[in-house]
Amino acid sequence: MQDDKGSKGYHDVGGDPAGEIPKVDLPWLHWEKQVEAIRGLLGDGTRRIVSLDEVRRGFESFGIDKYNSLSFYRRRLEAMTDILIEKGIVTQAELDSAIKAGTTRWSNLDETP
Amino acid sequence: MTRFAVGDRVQVLALRKEGHVRVPHYVRNQTGSVTEYCGTYLNPEELAVGKTSGPAVDLYRVAFAQRLLWPDDLIPAQDTLVIEIYDHWLTPAQEADHAP
Amino acid sequence: MPHDHAHGEHEALIIEDEAGNIDAQIVVDALQQVLIAKGLLTAHEVTAAIAKLESPGLHLGAKIIAKAWSDPEYKERLLADGRAAVQELDIPVTEARIIVVENTAQVHNLITCTLCSCYPRSILGQPPSWYISKAYRARSVREPRRVLKEFGLDLPDDMKLVVHDSNADMRYLVLPEPPLDFKTLAATDLEAMVSRDHLIGVARDVA
Repeated sequence: MQDDKGSKGYHDVGGDPAGEIPKVDLPWLHWEKQVEAIRGLLGDGTRRIVSLDEVRRGFESFGIDKYNSLSFYRRRLEAMTDILIEKGIVTQAELDSAIKAGTTRWSNLDETP
Repeated sequence: MTRFAVGDRVQVLALRKEGHVRVPHYVRNQTGSVTEYCGTYLNPEELAVGKTSGPAVDLYRVAFAQRLLWPDDLIPAQDTLVIEIYDHWLTPAQEADHAP
Repeated sequence: MPHDHAHGEHEALIIEDEAGNIDAQIVVDALQQVLIAKGLLTAHEVTAAIAKLESPGLHLGAKIIAKAWSDPEYKERLLADGRAAVQELDIPVTEARIIVVENTAQVHNLITCTLCSCYPRSILGQPPSWYISKAYRARSVREPRRVLKEFGLDLPDDMKLVVHDSNADMRYLVLPEPPLDFKTLAATDLEAMVSRDHLIGVARDVA
């Protein structure tokens, strides 16, 4: 007899079958620290714009494909962005514009002899 | 006055709450013992949707016998799992006999 | 675009390749720029916040453990109120509470966070990648003894294994048993014996 326990999020993996634990310890990259730094600042006492709880809700709402295809810190970045857009703090257009400009700068760097 | 004291037998409710919750499925409907009262904290279910002005909720640590959590597995009787559960997810256990 | 490198029976850890890392750097820089333009952050604040994130690490955890081994009264305070005791050592703690769980001859403790990756970051820094992996999160609660075997730790059947799932506001550190000759060792020697694996609980014997 299996009681209905409500829907189970894809992040709720305790007890699920899984294979060998990948014994890696990856370096913490600059962009990853930047994600955490920005999230911490946005959630601090002076701002309270995005909390860790909201970020968690964010990545729990991605859908399983997006969740499974992103690295841990990319999930945090995407979730934080989703919440900021949801709350109207930033718009997708503003972000896209800044990303486009950044991509151009990056590719110009590549071309510099 | 908190609802539960250390040593109380409690059952974790299987609330069908949508959205962000911090009670994993593997402990829902399970019965364990309160090992510690942690104090009051803002409810993450509310914080996750930007509601920061709600009441703080009592948080307890609850220990479960691993054998009861995973009845199909071969586990030493003394092994336990301890997890943090908010008050509204707990109810007093109805039990005929007490597991360790 | 990030993609999954290792396809196989086991759940791999998603690791960004170079293109993924560059893409992510561009995106976070763009986000930062937009937030600065709106007056919500300054670049200086971000730099300072990053420096703060980089400062905790194993050395702080080792300091706490070595002190607990050498000073029984400190150890009692640490077990009673981990956050206050850690702050006694001028280690700033941002987590609401720190619970230190003590290994004994009869008990071994293992820490996990099945729902995400909760970890005492303000003391130890970022958790190791394997701690965040789906495989660790899924199996650490259900078959912890087999997980420990994968880390080279074979617990006796009659030892009690307590797994702590840090799913809410508490954060955990394991206090390993001291080495047999701990009374003769200097603090720096004791600190050198403590690894992150001991503090999470996937290792038990200290040198």
